[in-house]
Amino acid sequence: MTIASVLLTVLAAQSFEQRGFVENRTTAYPQTAPNDSGHVVDEILVREDASYKLTPWLTVNGGFDARMDSHRQTAREWVLNADDRSIPRPPFSLRRLSATMHRGRVTAEIGRQLIRWGKTDILNPTDRFAPRDYLSSVVDADFLGVSAARVTYESGGETIDLVWQPWFTPSRTPLLNQRWTVVPPQAAGVNVVDAGARYPGGSQYGARWNHIGAGYEYSLCFFDGFQNLPSFDVLFSPMTQTAALTRVYPQLRLYGGDAAVPLRWLTLKGEAAYFTSSTPGAEEYALYVIQLERQVKEWSFAGGYAGSAVTREAANPLQFAPDRGFAKSFVGRAGLTIDANRDLAIESAVRAGGSFVRFEYSQLFGQHWRATGGIAWIRGDMADFLGQYRRNSYGSLAIRYSF
Amino acid sequence: MSKLLIPLLALAPAFAQDPRQIILEVQKRQHSDSQRYEGTLEVISQGNQVATKRWTYQRIGSFGNSKAILRFTAPAEVKGVGLLIVNHPDRASDQWMWRPAIGRDQRIALQDRSTRFFGTDFSFEDLEERDVDQYDYKLLADEGATWKIESRPRKSSQYAYSYFWIKKDNYTFVRIEAYSKKGLVRTIDYKDQEQIQGIWTARVTEVYDVARKSRTILKYEKLDYNLPMKDDDFTLQALRREL
Repeated sequence: MTIASVLLTVLAAQSFEQRGFVENRTTAYPQTAPNDSGHVVDEILVREDASYKLTPWLTVNGGFDARMDSHRQTAREWVLNADDRSIPRPPFSLRRLSATMHRGRVTAEIGRQLIRWGKTDILNPTDRFAPRDYLSSVVDADFLGVSAARVTYESGGETIDLVWQPWFTPSRTPLLNQRWTVVPPQAAGVNVVDAGARYPGGSQYGARWNHIGAGYEYSLCFFDGFQNLPSFDVLFSPMTQTAALTRVYPQLRLYGGDAAVPLRWLTLKGEAAYFTSSTPGAEEYALYVIQLERQVKEWSFAGGYAGSAVTREAANPLQFAPDRGFAKSFVGRAGLTIDANRDLAIESAVRAGGSFVRFEYSQLFGQHWRATGGIAWIRGDMADFLGQYRRNSYGSLAIRYSF
Repeated sequence: MSKLLIPLLALAPAFAQDPRQIILEVQKRQHSDSQRYEGTLEVISQGNQVATKRWTYQRIGSFGNSKAILRFTAPAEVKGVGLLIVNHPDRASDQWMWRPAIGRDQRIALQDRSTRFFGTDFSFEDLEERDVDQYDYKLLADEGATWKIESRPRKSSQYAYSYFWIKKDNYTFVRIEAYSKKGLVRTIDYKDQEQIQGIWTARVTEVYDVARKSRTILKYEKLDYNLPMKDDDFTLQALRREL
């Protein structure tokens, strides 16, 4: 009788929630690149997120991606990838598979999950448990899940967040034979070969304390682990004029903080981190973002400056570092909600040697369909992080069915 | 009739003419320890285009000192987007919005509260509760079945003043007209009133945005009061926990 009543209680508490979408995105590049003659790339993504509340305190979460594209960005194999470490995108991947437990002031999530730290919107120096997928665009990258255990204690305005990530998940870099990898002119005539990656074996951990005051909030955080953006080891063969590039991930330690303070007319947000490394030859540097934002009627504005200061130069100049690439930039974003169904967005980054601006118009049709059209314009010098992608200006159209 | 009741009844009309006491009586009669409903919103633009949204709303605590979580369930693309509102008796509320697609919560700054909430005609400020002591009241007219009361916020608000119409027979709001210094900003009409668990409740709220000539009709379904709820389900962690 007791068991039956417990079971009935459990069943009554169960609830299933899901959301997802199917999206077809077509990107057209007016210019070819030296390593990529394609003008049009078509990508299809099916994303499903679901959660099942087994008891009032225990929820199982799942997130799944299935994708294919016309440009060999996605591996042609019928395998479910659970750790998102592959060089090309996997056709089937787990973004999330976790259990969330909460009791009183403590919430714990164990398994594959998305973890986001930081407060600013343009660049997040402290967001170290959030590797990104830069494979098909350096200026518009999605987030990847990580396998981790996260425990959060919340009491009044204080939150302590502890994260342990036993398996490393790197950011996914552009493929070497495609346009978002720019081979320097000095390497002309050299056959560049992708030699894969050497992933670090240890675990990563971090802690963050967040304080919410009357109108303002700030946090301090610490991270010890690895840089999820790679440096490249080069093995050059003069006989064959071949350079084999291997991705390596230096050790990284971060001391950071962020704050959001509403002023009379604007909200001031800041985020900063100092990165050190025990890996010989690895760069040590600070990244910071100062951002002002405001909403005026249907408009939202965010703009600011992302800066960096290098305290130890990298011995290896071959790095893929969009976080530092977007530093020393004035960055801005404006959004307009035209009505309940239509939105307009403008985003830009301006550096001394390069600039990027993107316009997007988006419209919802009925309850499920959304179309988003956009134009991105990239200009600058080959020596600049943004400017090197000057042949990658594009127009895009995404049609999404949400369910 | 007992001797005790006679002076009380004699006092009643004078008592009721005090606008602050009227508002207090409204709050008292609508008091509940918690509330839950499922809302269907029809946003009707100037060109009569209709966008339908749905949300669930849960509140714990008494008026002006409560916490609420509002979470979209439709359309599919905004499913899971949530808003946590922590109302304070002595100041404006704290609000955070959670967007599951990007895994981030965003604090809604006080100066941004006049912005429309997710394409509806409600502003973020319209979704908060402010205690009776955060306003000054003036009784403008006794209009037979209703009182017309002017309220002026003592603290920062997008509205310079508002007019309330309150029914005399059951102490419920019928209409609010909210003005900025430049003129009428928004009207809110409370319709289809019925008693639910002894509390007079509007089943439909209609908001009209004067500048945009846009209307949002919110219909309340599965509305219940005084359900068992826990404080722990009205925190930032709780906002992030759901899908």
